[in-house]
Amino acid sequence: MSLKRFAILGGLFILLIILIVVYFKNGGEEKIKQSLNSPPPEIYQPSEEQKEMKKIILFFLSEGDPFLHPEEREIYAQASIAREAKQAVEELIKGSQNGYLSPLPSQAKLRELFLTEEGVAYVDFSKDFQVENPSGSTAEISTIYSIVNSLTYNFKSIKKVFILIEGGEKETLGGHINLSRPFFPQYSLIAK
Amino acid sequence: MSSDAGSIPAASIKKFLNTLFRQIQKNLVTFALLSSFLVASSFPQNYSFVRLSARDHPNFTRVIIELSEPLPFSVEKRDSSLLVEIETKVPLRIQRRSSESQFIESFSWTKRNDSLILTIRVKHSNFSFDYLTIGHPPKLIIDLSQVQKEMRGVRTIVIDPGHGGVESGAKGKFGTLEKDITLPISWKLKAIIERNLAFRVVLTRDKDIYFSLDNRVALANNNKADLFISVHTNSSRRKNARGSETFFLSLNASDEEARRLAYLENSSAELEERIEGEDEDEIKMILWDMAQAAYLQQSSQLAEFIQKELNLVLSTANRGIKQAPFKVLTGVACPAVLVEVAFISNPVEEKKLLTDEFQNKVAQAIYRGLVNYIRLYSQK
Repeated sequence: MSLKRFAILGGLFILLIILIVVYFKNGGEEKIKQSLNSPPPEIYQPSEEQKEMKKIILFFLSEGDPFLHPEEREIYAQASIAREAKQAVEELIKGSQNGYLSPLPSQAKLRELFLTEEGVAYVDFSKDFQVENPSGSTAEISTIYSIVNSLTYNFKSIKKVFILIEGGEKETLGGHINLSRPFFPQYSLIAK
Repeated sequence: MSSDAGSIPAASIKKFLNTLFRQIQKNLVTFALLSSFLVASSFPQNYSFVRLSARDHPNFTRVIIELSEPLPFSVEKRDSSLLVEIETKVPLRIQRRSSESQFIESFSWTKRNDSLILTIRVKHSNFSFDYLTIGHPPKLIIDLSQVQKEMRGVRTIVIDPGHGGVESGAKGKFGTLEKDITLPISWKLKAIIERNLAFRVVLTRDKDIYFSLDNRVALANNNKADLFISVHTNSSRRKNARGSETFFLSLNASDEEARRLAYLENSSAELEERIEGEDEDEIKMILWDMAQAAYLQQSSQLAEFIQKELNLVLSTANRGIKQAPFKVLTGVACPAVLVEVAFISNPVEEKKLLTDEFQNKVAQAIYRGLVNYIRLYSQK
């Protein structure tokens, strides 16, 4: 083996390491910009190394009492918390697998979810999220806190949640709960 | 002659009486039946009665007048008496039950043309009253209480009938709209307050129009409201959800908001000094935005009093007092609560919400809660 060939191989190896380091280093920070400017890569066709699953807890409503009930769900483990959180909200929209009531209208679409450095998750829904939501204080409270609690409970870096509709800030969903400021979790609403 | 003349008729009368007596004895059963029929037929088939009872409660005295059938009536205060006039074509049988009251001097009944008048003499002339009818056959419930002279703390009460106009709020299974229930309840509450207390009552809307949440807050603050009550009907995805709830504002506590609270707690003079040099508009907005933060303690107390009365009066399940970040409560600069009267999403409660009877009960309950709160704070 010539010295030249060895140097080329070595060079390629170093380049590969640099690429890997750069890839993982940027993983956490670039997401806000990325989610704002360009659509993120498709979540549901992960490459081989992304097929690792992660267990999360989602909160649904039960007919029997006014509390939120936990239900376990598996999502694809991702390098970015925003992308995992996005999957969590999409699973929440799909509804319960154990016969619980869904606190979100099934017609709702999650347009985008992005995270700020201060730990605020901006969750942007399509207008169906508002239009199809039955107005009423209790209905609004359960909708909002199933999202807020599901996100803050599973992702420690999410401290509060701001709900947007069609990319913009709304006063309320149906005339009750204030959407113009971020929500902190309300774990007292969860069934014991 | 005279004795003869007299003895003959006397003997014949005696004979007649004896025959009659024997006849009666023979037909005793028939006679008894006949007489009882005559007695019974002299009364209408379902005879009418009025039953009266009175009892003292901690803050009021309750007089209950039970009627055997619905009859038109009117209630009127005259000096230290309350006159209850019941219109009736047939005579009413008056039944009196337990009537132990320290507040009432006497009851008396008088008849006039086609009506019966009950005069309730009260020991004090400065009393107030509320009344409502419930049930079938109807019960007329009259609550009497002494007017509180020391209620100086409150001058203006703002009642906010939830939703309105294009924004109809929650919708029931039978199509009842939240906005159409909150308005009559608010009207009734206004009437009760004005009848009993010397306070100004302002409604944020008095007809079916859209009025933004910010405008409702502005109206309350511009009228220097001393109390703010928003009236709503609840809705849930759970079919079984029922009962009434009273909410006050929950703050999402954070460093940022703690800083805002610090501003609020300072005196205005001090505040103006601080504002200088900072972004004045922004600070004003923050103040307006979080005005309710300074009144949470009182709001929680008011919520508790109202909820307690709702639980007593309504046979709805107790869901207690709760906190949530309601938009309409955030900027109100006085004790403020939001009452969710019952679930319009529950068909049983939806039907109740449509009745005058239920709406009256709710208004009465909120009123009592208010009075208890005002009493507590005027003593302080």
